Amino acid sequence: MSSSPVAIRLQNVTQRFRVIQERPDTVRELFSKFFRHRSSYHDFEAVKNASFEVPKGQMLGLIGRNGSGKSTILKIVSGVYRPSAGTVQVQGSLAPLIELGAGFHHELTGRENILLNGLLMGYSKREILARQQSIIDFAEIGDFIDSPVKQYSSGMYMRLAFAVATEVDPEILVIDEILAVGDAGFQDKCFERIRNFRRAGKTILMVTHNMAQVAQHCDRAILLDKGSITADGLPDDVIEVYKSLLALEAAAAH
Amino acid sequence: MGEVRLSMIELVRDTYRYRELIWALALKELKIRYKRSVLGFMWALLNPALLMVVLTLVFSTIMRFNIPHYAVFLLSVLLPWTFFSQSLSYAVEAIVANGDLIKKIAVPKLVFPMAAVVSNIINLLLSLIPLALLVPLLRHPFYWTWLYLPVPLLALAIFTLGMTFFFAAANVYYRDVAHILQILLSAWFYLTPIIYPLELIPARYQWIFKLNPIIYVINGFRLAVYYGMLPKAPSIVASFVCAFLSLFLGFAIFRKYQDNFVFYV
Repeated sequence: MSSSPVAIRLQNVTQRFRVIQERPDTVRELFSKFFRHRSSYHDFEAVKNASFEVPKGQMLGLIGRNGSGKSTILKIVSGVYRPSAGTVQVQGSLAPLIELGAGFHHELTGRENILLNGLLMGYSKREILARQQSIIDFAEIGDFIDSPVKQYSSGMYMRLAFAVATEVDPEILVIDEILAVGDAGFQDKCFERIRNFRRAGKTILMVTHNMAQVAQHCDRAILLDKGSITADGLPDDVIEVYKSLLALEAAAAH
Repeated sequence: MGEVRLSMIELVRDTYRYRELIWALALKELKIRYKRSVLGFMWALLNPALLMVVLTLVFSTIMRFNIPHYAVFLLSVLLPWTFFSQSLSYAVEAIVANGDLIKKIAVPKLVFPMAAVVSNIINLLLSLIPLALLVPLLRHPFYWTWLYLPVPLLALAIFTLGMTFFFAAANVYYRDVAHILQILLSAWFYLTPIIYPLELIPARYQWIFKLNPIIYVINGFRLAVYYGMLPKAPSIVASFVCAFLSLFLGFAIFRKYQDNFVFYV
């Protein structure tokens, strides 16, 4: 594992958020808060001192409860957040599938959105136009491609968004929970595409609550709990740790 | 100073690197503005044209000034001013309005205020067409100095861009900024010699009005279109000094805070 080149490296990464607690109930309170120069906030560490490396070609699953810091790590890796402390290195082009269709605009046509979304993800106009037809084919949009996307069904919308995000041939794919969308047929198609990515030796980092997906597709899993890495290893082993953590939690609640 | 140089290098580099994205966002802005209207893009021409008709009627019949061809006098500066104030009004929300995107995709933040300015430049250029038609219609001479317009246009675009960077960044932290800006813009409008000539101000107060940086920037428009003259060299220098100061400061502030935008949008 150490012999293959590293695609993603996180060293002692901490992500702090400033949570502002200002819900003034009365006008007086609002004024007093205003003059006290907004003092009511606290810092919250979503990720605490996390370090890990992902070798090129590995498919890594991040698991953990809601609020454990999984999505924050994805956002750090994809460059949305600059971490409060620590360093992040990413080797190669990266496509984030964090929220499909985040860059879509409802009034624009499918074709216009393909271009805009591709540019937002950092590809050049030439690269996007060269792949436009295969995006349209994969998404099975047909003649709707020249209609505004607000007229699309949610399935068509997701298919187009997935196609745009993956057709551009990234070296690293970052996936957040998005494979829970679409009908079974389309999910199969998405997984088929992800398997192709794996066969092509691409690195994949994914967050999911679906343990079956982790066990079936991933080479490795990392368990996050309250922002810290608590287990790192083979998917089956890490899933076991996660299950016992959940069981412990349930027992404590009773 | 090193900080400023670094941010200027970054500005030029990123503008070039993301030129296709900036252009696409600017076109999107325009498409959405004119979408679902029957005349569509024609409104970019019709809007200023109709405004000109109204202004011409008002100032040639109801309110008569002692200024010949007052409509030309006014529009030569009103159109650039409209560009300035509209760019700012759009751009002040540019980061906040794209908050969802910024939270999900690692996208360079500077493209949003830039796209707002570019889309408004297109509008300004289009609005010069009806002005060019109006000038002979009102029997005002059509001066060769129109050819000089790219120079004040450049200064105005740079000046505006710097201001939009500042206001877009400030509005991320304090949403009050967008509201304050509107008041500021209307006060600024009346304090700038747009509807009146600077000569109307008593001589001993004129120095106060000359502290207003935008008068150097838009002065060239009125001289070229209405008077058929070119600004004097010191005035041109002053306009570019103001423009680049605005850009240096505005972008330096924007750049300093841009990594934290994602936490406040």
